[in-house]
Amino acid sequence: MFSFIAKRVGQSVLVLLITGLVAFSMFTFVGDPIDNMLGQERTMEDVERLRQQLGLDKPFVVQYVRFLEQAVQGNFGISYRQGRPVAEILLERAPATLELAAVSSIFAIVLGIGLGVFTAIRRDGVAAHVIMSASLIGVSLPTFLIGILLIYVFSVELGWFPSFGRGETVDIGGWSTGFLTVTGLKALVLPSITLGLYQMTLIMRLVRSEMLEVMRQDYIRFAKARGLSNRVINFRHALKNTMVPVITVIGLQLGSIIAFAIITETVFQWPGVGLLFINAIQFVDIPVMAAYLMLISVMFVAINLLVDILYAFIDPRLRGAA
Amino acid sequence: MLRLSTALALVLALPASAENFKFAVTTDPQTMDPHAVNSAPVLGFLNNVYEGLVRRGKDMTIEPSLAVSWEPIGEGAGWRFNLREDVTFQDGSAFNADDVLFSYERAASEEADTSSWFAPVSDVIKVDDYTVDIMTTAPNPIFPDSIANWMMMDSDWAAANDANRPDKEQGNYATLNANGTGPFQIVSRAPDLKTVLSPHDGWWGEVEHNLTNIEMTPIQNSATALAALLSGDVDFINPVPIQDVVRLQGNPDVQVIQGIEARVIMLGFDQQAGAAESGQGGADMFLDPNARAAVAKAINAPAILQTIMRGNAEVASQLVSPAMRGYSTANAAAYAYDAEAARTLAQEAGLDGQNISFKCPNDRYLNDEAVCQAITSMLAQAGMDVTLDTMPVSNYWPELRADNFDMYLLGWSPGTLDAEHPIRFLASTPNAEKRLGSWNFGGYSNSRVDALLPMIQSEIDDSKRQAMLDEVAQTLQDEVAYVPLYVQPLVWGARSGVDVTQRPDNFFILRWVTVE
Amino acid sequence: MRRFLNSDIFYAFRTSPVAMASAFVTVLLVLAAVFAPLIALTNPFDPASLNLMNGFTPPMEPNAFTGETFLLGTDDQGRDVYSTILYGMRISLFVGVAAVMFAMILGIFLGLLSGYFGGWTETIIMRAADVQLTFPSILVAMLIFGIAKGVTPVEYRDQMAIWVLILAIGLSDWVQFARVVRGATLVEKSKDYVAAARMIGRSPLTIMLRHILPNVLSPVLVIATISLALAIIAEATLSFLGVGAPPTQPSLGTLIRIGQGYLFSGEWWILFFPACTLLALALAVNLLGDWLRDALNPRLR
Repeated sequence: MFSFIAKRVGQSVLVLLITGLVAFSMFTFVGDPIDNMLGQERTMEDVERLRQQLGLDKPFVVQYVRFLEQAVQGNFGISYRQGRPVAEILLERAPATLELAAVSSIFAIVLGIGLGVFTAIRRDGVAAHVIMSASLIGVSLPTFLIGILLIYVFSVELGWFPSFGRGETVDIGGWSTGFLTVTGLKALVLPSITLGLYQMTLIMRLVRSEMLEVMRQDYIRFAKARGLSNRVINFRHALKNTMVPVITVIGLQLGSIIAFAIITETVFQWPGVGLLFINAIQFVDIPVMAAYLMLISVMFVAINLLVDILYAFIDPRLRGAA
Repeated sequence: MLRLSTALALVLALPASAENFKFAVTTDPQTMDPHAVNSAPVLGFLNNVYEGLVRRGKDMTIEPSLAVSWEPIGEGAGWRFNLREDVTFQDGSAFNADDVLFSYERAASEEADTSSWFAPVSDVIKVDDYTVDIMTTAPNPIFPDSIANWMMMDSDWAAANDANRPDKEQGNYATLNANGTGPFQIVSRAPDLKTVLSPHDGWWGEVEHNLTNIEMTPIQNSATALAALLSGDVDFINPVPIQDVVRLQGNPDVQVIQGIEARVIMLGFDQQAGAAESGQGGADMFLDPNARAAVAKAINAPAILQTIMRGNAEVASQLVSPAMRGYSTANAAAYAYDAEAARTLAQEAGLDGQNISFKCPNDRYLNDEAVCQAITSMLAQAGMDVTLDTMPVSNYWPELRADNFDMYLLGWSPGTLDAEHPIRFLASTPNAEKRLGSWNFGGYSNSRVDALLPMIQSEIDDSKRQAMLDEVAQTLQDEVAYVPLYVQPLVWGARSGVDVTQRPDNFFILRWVTVE
Repeated sequence: MRRFLNSDIFYAFRTSPVAMASAFVTVLLVLAAVFAPLIALTNPFDPASLNLMNGFTPPMEPNAFTGETFLLGTDDQGRDVYSTILYGMRISLFVGVAAVMFAMILGIFLGLLSGYFGGWTETIIMRAADVQLTFPSILVAMLIFGIAKGVTPVEYRDQMAIWVLILAIGLSDWVQFARVVRGATLVEKSKDYVAAARMIGRSPLTIMLRHILPNVLSPVLVIATISLALAIIAEATLSFLGVGAPPTQPSLGTLIRIGQGYLFSGEWWILFFPACTLLALALAVNLLGDWLRDALNPRLR
């Protein structure tokens, strides 16, 4: 078991290193930060001098090694755009994204499971069919359009929710939270729906199909034959057995919620790491891009690793396969 | 970091009051250092916090600020500035000639992005605590005009905080903090998120505004910014998408403030022999002025203004707009649209059958992508085969520097508001040593224009100067060095009851804002 | 053919109104896209044919300057929205189908390899899949776009965008095919008929293609259908981020990006019609994929 974990961790580190290398090889193509850092009256000399100062004249491998050396010591460099440490910026932005991700995950999970169970139990009902079809509309439009339409209807026309940002936030030990103010909570509604809609549909459909599967199993039939009430059968037996694959998928989807926050945050001007990343791309803020990509990679690789190790615990046969 | 966030928390806990003014900008100023980045978002914002010796009034004229008066020394040896007394910085320390000397050294240093302003300066001399002489290498009649954005920083504050020079690469104390003499001070700043300002109680000037607390938030997506204004989440946005002007004008809750920016949008051409990108037979297609003239005649600029710009912009005839000093009224006629003549000219110049590579930014100027698309189809109608390639500015400037174009779109806003500025940057033969032609990507070159530039720079007599500017404008028009298209419109949006003043440099000056 | 018409699957299809309706819409839209040059009124990709003064004409109303009338109005360049949608859908569908094909072929190939051979082959492929999943698809596309821009000769740049989109969307999509195929291969590999085939000396390639592949086709088909809808949406999202089809040859996504700028100004038709078309297309394909999944899963019937 130990050797299996060691092997997988080793592979994960290798994955991270390669990811970083690929990322750095691509930065040169994103654009040139120099023009964004200097104004209208710069000369070509200024451009060259700044390029040298930033080490951008070096090959990307050299830049990458330098980044790694510093990153290992917890130093992600200085943002070109903001002129302060990237780590500081990321810490400042992380609460916004994490709170948005948390709320939209809860929205997706609660509504997804609820509707999934409903459509499974009332499999042939009209309401179930309507929900199943309507849920597809949510995944048949691009996220940015859903966001813009929500803003148009609910903040411009109806004025129910703010059109951008986090509202008022309260600072608790360096963590700025929007959960403690009315405007903060209101500001979460539209972005959470935009971000969570896709995951909700996914979870709902998964719960439905797993539940239909489980309900065909013999033990459910026996339960029915024994005269247990539908409610007990549906929730105590069927739903419980549905949960294992659902939880796995939810775990994997958490990562993609954070990745997809990029678009939602851009539309709603949500001050999280996704917006930070988009701004960094526009400005070619290489230190910020590098740190963000590394962060996302670590998160995905860690989730993958965890899932693999958990599976290995559950099913020892898989250990040999890796 | 800790200080920043606690300050933020304190401010956020404040109840919203009537004078709490919120405004949205597209680009957050990337630094609070007035000498680190010479760009409009930075200088425009910092004009509220820092001040220069002179400043621009509501009509863009130069007026006294930290200098109460100035006069030329001798026959063009330099300028004497008499400083205002009893001026204090926001941290309470006094302003005097030492700060001017320090700010000169700082702003003219190699680390600064503003050093080109001081290219004509030979020396800065402290005469007494409130008198400063700025000596120039040659007579320089427009020097006071050219330093309106040169902002004064306290030498002691900079020394105490280890910010004696700007630092673009690592950033320093002055990147995130500010201490000016201006009417507003920074209460808290979270870059890219929110910057909070409050009035500076010790300001020397007469207060016209009635603001007590100001919040600036960047919102990049223009639809989101507009939604924020319409839903009352912000009191002011800049810019309003041009297509939404009519709709907003019909809305009683908001108002549109329109004007003409100092920025002229134009087309540039690759005019260097053998340097064009395709490398095939047609590489030098725009060496021939007739080929450039064919493009000029093929473009129906009024149609672009009528549709894409919704009638909110004016056709341009030269590199500066009529509001600029030194505008050539003698050359006020723009190229006339004539599709047939363009077709004939294009054929004669050998443009037909050649693929013209047209580069265009898609996030730099108002509706830039749509304008370039329209130009592409107009040129196609005149028989030219154009391939349009649009991209974000981060890719755009490197592309132009690498000479990867036959034709490109450029906007130019003269920092000095003078016709000499674009001649120096766009029309001079590129020369790194003399800092000339640094934005002349196409390599336009005319020895007469090059010879006239230093004469224009040092001519004190206004009519002689204008005659030379007229000659340059005429030459550039005759040779179709660039094809000026239109002057970019300026469209601001505000909640009803907010009174603001708009200037062609697109600076949002908070001391002129009143809120009902 | 007869066998197909009598098959269970066709019976299930005939008795499901949702499946029939979505298949009808899909076929209709695909035909409209394929025959766009025949049924479109103008060619919006020909810059010489556009009249800027026709810009922003509302549907069914004559233009104030030119007096021309357009069924669904015109956009900011004076392009007929109806024709532009047809041509745009052509690009969207082409990108979607090609990207899914690319992802499918790559995924099946890598999935078979890793499932059949196991060992180091499997480790490398599955870790590559991890790297792939690490980068959100949008990111992969943006980076590939940047690279392609740097290496493509200028003359080919305007066609480049389409191929880059296909590559980018395809590359971010192969993993799920590979995972499903690998799983199924692992199961099939241990079965007797594969062992028998191996015994009589069939080459691994033949075994994989002839014996294992047919058994994994139905889940692959389901994934492919759903991926098609996702790929069309992904293309639209990429357009929003500025890395989609060029504005002179817009896809549905590019049209929506352009149109969203006119949502507040009252020129709703520039956004509304392309968005509805995209919705109809993606929804029909999604419903079809959904139905297919249930229909191909015998336990649910």
